[in-house]
Amino acid sequence: MPFLDRLLSAAYRHNATLLLFMVFCLVVIVGVFVIRDLGTANFEAQTIYTGSVHGLRRIGELQYDAQETRRATLYALTTSDSNLQVEYADQSRSADQRVKDAIAEYGRQAKQPAETALAHRLANDWSSYLSVRDEVLASILEGSTKEAVSLDLSGGVPAFERVRQDLNEVKVLYDEDALRSQANLSASARRSTFRLIGILGFTFLLSSAAVWAIQRSQMLGAIQLAKLQMEFVASVSHELRTPLAVLSSAADNLADGIIVGNDALQKYGAVLQHQSRRMSTLVDEILLFASTEDSKNRYILQPLQVSRIFESVMSASAGLIQGTDFVINEHIDEGLPPVMGDLSGISQCLQNLIGNAVKYCGNHRSVALCARAAPATSGSGQEVQISVADRGIGIDPSELARVFDPFYRSPRVNAMQIHGTGLGLSLARRIAESMGGRLSVVSELSVGSTFTLHLQIAKGEDSQTVL
Amino acid sequence: MRRLTTYLVALTLAAAHQLDAPRASAGSSEALAIVVNRSNPVDSLSLAELRAIFLSSRSHWANERRITLVMREPGEPERKTIVHDVCGMNENQLKTHVLHGLFTGEILVSPKVLATASGVRKFIFNVPGAIGYLRVSDVDDSVKVLRIDNLLPTDKGYKLRVQDQTGY
Repeated sequence: MPFLDRLLSAAYRHNATLLLFMVFCLVVIVGVFVIRDLGTANFEAQTIYTGSVHGLRRIGELQYDAQETRRATLYALTTSDSNLQVEYADQSRSADQRVKDAIAEYGRQAKQPAETALAHRLANDWSSYLSVRDEVLASILEGSTKEAVSLDLSGGVPAFERVRQDLNEVKVLYDEDALRSQANLSASARRSTFRLIGILGFTFLLSSAAVWAIQRSQMLGAIQLAKLQMEFVASVSHELRTPLAVLSSAADNLADGIIVGNDALQKYGAVLQHQSRRMSTLVDEILLFASTEDSKNRYILQPLQVSRIFESVMSASAGLIQGTDFVINEHIDEGLPPVMGDLSGISQCLQNLIGNAVKYCGNHRSVALCARAAPATSGSGQEVQISVADRGIGIDPSELARVFDPFYRSPRVNAMQIHGTGLGLSLARRIAESMGGRLSVVSELSVGSTFTLHLQIAKGEDSQTVL
Repeated sequence: MRRLTTYLVALTLAAAHQLDAPRASAGSSEALAIVVNRSNPVDSLSLAELRAIFLSSRSHWANERRITLVMREPGEPERKTIVHDVCGMNENQLKTHVLHGLFTGEILVSPKVLATASGVRKFIFNVPGAIGYLRVSDVDDSVKVLRIDNLLPTDKGYKLRVQDQTGY
């Protein structure tokens, strides 16, 4: 599970925000999909409902008007008043025109061949009935009631019966169509339900996995932090014990009167001085790290000449290389603009980097301290980059992302008995970021490492008061 | 002054015609069209043939369809024109003639009496053998206008005219 652990560790380093954001995006996408699916199902249901209501109304009106045509004709038989008979004839003709229009509309909206054929047959049967109806009406109006009744019984009743059967068939076809639509709607609803269940289940599983991953990454992070702190305590204890042992031993010798003579006393004094300074430096580093934990704006930024920075760094680092054959090669590009920063902060940062270079230089006992102007890696414009490059043991690519973590110590350097607190690079990065800058690293195993401090260029009025 | 009077009279006549109000002022007249069903093959009749039809002497058309007479109610100007100018009788004489015909069996069906011009029009539209009469302004495409003595109601010399304020 090393890949999973690395992934979880990465998720933890990014505060699990990315994972939560991904879950949020997924939930939003699923929500949109569910809403869209519900909308589609709703639209289908509305379409079927509207179609059903419209179809039922159309069939109802068609049946009513057909009956009205016949009813008005028969009403004309019930009176001998020509004026009333004409009125009934007029009503019958109005109704039959509505029936003709409805049949034509039914034919136009027919979806299946059976419906088209039925519309054609209905139109023919209706036309046949109207022929008889016209004769019946004429007989009624002429006053030949018997003839009218005879005509209606012999021709009108059978013709209207055929129309009635056609209308029943229209209703049967409509019922079949409605049943098909209902079946389609049920199938659509089932599909939507299954999809919703599937999507909700998938979302639930994914969310659970995300929560599990976040919790696991946080737990791993907490364990890792505890482990680092334990290592730090052990390392600090070890770092303190060495000078303390020397100091204790020297003090015992002095107290016991073993050390006599000026030369020996001076030698012991130098040892005491060196070890006490070493302890002081160590304690200062720990205190500095603790103080930069929550105070990003503790530095006062002002324009600084790079040469001034180099002087300060070289002066502070003199103690590191004193009495060794270690060489620091300086180089500053011509015409570099002043940078914005705090002199002590930048010195501390570069001093840490040089200290690391000295510590991990291996057999190549030189380091290059260079300053140059370059396009800003974040944003636009230019920046000044001060790099500390060594040709030492280098950093494994898998560790590059972790070397700036507080208390992190490479297992390789532990094995090589190179002592340290694991705070130097973390401290350097915090200082750089506190000044609005950045710290980056390029390294190759057994070739060397180059740490670069990216600093903002002083602009406008700031550059007038350069230190 | 005379031209103005003529213009005002013309305006009054036009308004009266459009509103279907009393059709004309005293003494005015309008052609009376003889109308049949559009399926009737007959296009023209002589005044004598028309008289035979309205007196029920002739009961069938040439295509064997029975003739159905359509009349307006007694007292209507259109009926007065037909009774007087076509039948050559007055209302009482016509009534007597019809009753006599029905009693003797010479007349099979008495004329149909309708209250309005639109009723006449619809009746003739529904009955293929029907014949009736309408003012020219009441005629539309649902019926066919016959020539009488080869003259249409709009032709000069057409004899059947409705006198609105006559003293028959």
